[in-house]
Amino acid sequence: MIKYEKFVLENGLKVIVHKDTSTPLVAVNLLYNIGSKDENPEKTGFAHLFEHLMFGGSVNIPDYDGVLQIAGGENNAFTNPDFTNYYILLPKENLETAFWLESDRMLQLAFTDKSLEVQRNVVVEEYKQRYLNQPYGDIMLLLNPLAYKIHPYQWSTIGKNIEHIQNANIEEVKDFFYKYYAPNNAILVVGGNIETDEVKRLCNKWFSPIEKRNISIRNLNKEPEQKELRTLTVKRNVPYDAIYKAYHMCSRFDSEYYTCDLISDILSSGKSSRLYQSLVKEKKLFSEINAYISGSIDEGLFIFSGKLISGVNIYDAEKEIDLEIEKIKNEQVGEYELNKAKNNIESSHVFSEISILNVTMNLAYYELIGNIEEINTEINKYSIISSQQIQNIANKIFKPENCSTLYYLAENKQ
Amino acid sequence: MTEINRKSHPELHKISKLNLHKPSKNKLNNGLPIFILDSGNHDVVRIDFIFSAGNWYQDKPLISRITNTMLNEGTKNYTAFEIAEKLEYYGAYIQLNNFYDFSDIVVYCLKKYLPDIIKIIEDIIKNPVFPEKELQTYIKKAKQNHIISKSKVQNLAREKFLQVLFGQNHPYGQIVETTDFDNINTGQLISYFTRLYHSQNCKILLSGKIDDEVVNLINNCFGGNDWCQNLNTVQIEHKIQPLNQKQTIIIKDEAVQSAIRIGKQLYNYSHLDYFGMSILNKILGGYFGSRLMTNIREDKGYTYGIGSILVSLKNTGYFVVASEVGVEVCKNAVKEIYYEIEKLKNEYVSIDELNLVKNYILGQMLRSFDGPFNLADSYRTIIENDLEFDFYDKFINVINTIEPVDLINLANKYFDTENFYEVIAGKY
Repeated sequence: MIKYEKFVLENGLKVIVHKDTSTPLVAVNLLYNIGSKDENPEKTGFAHLFEHLMFGGSVNIPDYDGVLQIAGGENNAFTNPDFTNYYILLPKENLETAFWLESDRMLQLAFTDKSLEVQRNVVVEEYKQRYLNQPYGDIMLLLNPLAYKIHPYQWSTIGKNIEHIQNANIEEVKDFFYKYYAPNNAILVVGGNIETDEVKRLCNKWFSPIEKRNISIRNLNKEPEQKELRTLTVKRNVPYDAIYKAYHMCSRFDSEYYTCDLISDILSSGKSSRLYQSLVKEKKLFSEINAYISGSIDEGLFIFSGKLISGVNIYDAEKEIDLEIEKIKNEQVGEYELNKAKNNIESSHVFSEISILNVTMNLAYYELIGNIEEINTEINKYSIISSQQIQNIANKIFKPENCSTLYYLAENKQ
Repeated sequence: MTEINRKSHPELHKISKLNLHKPSKNKLNNGLPIFILDSGNHDVVRIDFIFSAGNWYQDKPLISRITNTMLNEGTKNYTAFEIAEKLEYYGAYIQLNNFYDFSDIVVYCLKKYLPDIIKIIEDIIKNPVFPEKELQTYIKKAKQNHIISKSKVQNLAREKFLQVLFGQNHPYGQIVETTDFDNINTGQLISYFTRLYHSQNCKILLSGKIDDEVVNLINNCFGGNDWCQNLNTVQIEHKIQPLNQKQTIIIKDEAVQSAIRIGKQLYNYSHLDYFGMSILNKILGGYFGSRLMTNIREDKGYTYGIGSILVSLKNTGYFVVASEVGVEVCKNAVKEIYYEIEKLKNEYVSIDELNLVKNYILGQMLRSFDGPFNLADSYRTIIENDLEFDFYDKFINVINTIEPVDLINLANKYFDTENFYEVIAGKY
């Protein structure tokens, strides 16, 4: 059970306080409601590039990292299609340093040419390190645009191509800042051995002077229903074939989301799961196989991914995945297997509450998706799911015309 | 509202006191050492079974790793599937890790389910049977994964660097070849298991919510004489034979980044200069604000990340700078790495920078002792290496007293760059 208190500043900043007396640390998590889905299709990768620029100094503090390190703190950030999240973990005594830093960069960035030039290069190297210089590294860069034709989830957070990042200029950076970085577009969570009154005092001092900004309401086109099977075949310099099958599923707000999550657990969580037992152990077709949900806020994907054992034909292997899909569509999951998946969710839930940083991040996320209390009650939504519901949802999603399949073939087979 | 000063740092508080919760040490009925870290508010338990096993003790490549990985692939009383299904039914996780000097079995579970799974854990540790069928499936998978990992420049550079430092015949330096997967049989695994997995070669670390009930369960399952071997522990020695060649280039034509490894053999935790070097290393490349990051990422934009580490192994240690950089800037990056190292030998670290690093390390220690599992990780090192529990107190003492002159002396003593080894994988 995670306890919290919530208040909103006049400028619209939402603040959540979680008291935990067992730790000498405080975690400060600041989530901005801006992700790669908000980008201009001609300037993708910008939200993430911007995340890098947030460490390039703010109007009053030239060196963000240095002053935090003096205070014994550590920080990082990540960007995903839905939001950008910044966090700091530091000794409780130095909490005010975090407020000073985060409020100053919310007030205004330094916008230096030097920082932009360097971070463009750093992000290009990140692109190479993660996507181009790794075997199988470009798979999601191929799969997302196959599955999404309208919705901006079609491009990855890193961006459609390197040129978009290389061409970013300082004016665009400024525009982006004032368009999306604002108290009324952010959620601040403070966790640790701290009183709400103290957080209120610090918020009033550091964040309240920042004026509300004009944030346009997000209005994204919904991905239309997919009506026919899509396939893409590529050849790459990798040793083994890989297959990806992506089915459209519901959004994070839909009650069906939890059922999809359970289905993915039944299919592929752990060594006793169906896909692993049948396709890796018994039939020996795959060296690894997974089923998972993309977990996005807007309508997401239910993805199957597998790397083939050498010598196995990719279309034969796909048929065996299809057989497992047919099985979950046609036969009800037994009680033991269903309980196993639910117990697994319960266990993950308890383990996720151990780290103070994790708890503050989760609080920000649940506030973002509209109902913070779900952090405590969501577990119940899993416990009531029946075998019948699982079968219904499996039949609803796992239709050939709802699927995008990527055949990622090895150029020089081993 | 009063005007606030956004230009200057709010009042800073030095981390004066670190509450280093120390484990209690005990013995099971059969003499097996058990370490207990009861902490945290969550009803979870983690059990680390640490064996003096690992690559150091194997006769040929992969035996240690495969033996440890296959402990849960079938036992006297349960099939591989039954083990997985039962553990997963109770939401328990098991990790099987193989290292150079140790192997472990780490179990995470909700405290309420420990009685339901402990018999399975007991069977995994005492009675694995290494079924031939499961072995063949595992080897096929592992061989493929090995081939994939060999196509990554960072792996090529890492393994080559260790080989260069320690030699192909030394367990720390040995490179696993694809053909090594071909001649593994269950007999080799069983003999390795029998030699090393017994109560006199094991330590247990309990963390999370640990009470008498948990300790009694562990004692009932692992405190008996049924898994003693009465073997004399044989000390195995290996000779370090570094390569003569100081620079090794591995060409990979299609690479868009090159992996760099530069460094030398050093020493481990038990060396008198270890703490000081670890602070010097922090300054050079041990955190985001380090000199290597500041210069090579934040000023030049050559890389997404660069760092240096001191790696401590049971019998020695090493120092290494590691990065992946754009192929076209690789030579410049190497030059800048040496520039930063030389600078530490020639110029005193400023008091401001040293204070920053001291505070940063203390903050890092605070984080690494926060929460039951971080605490367990921090003491694993101590327990594995038979160090004293005041290890971290001594480190804090060095942090509080070290001065720029000590650091420049250490840099000149150990950063003898003419004896450094360089490995580049990609293009150069």
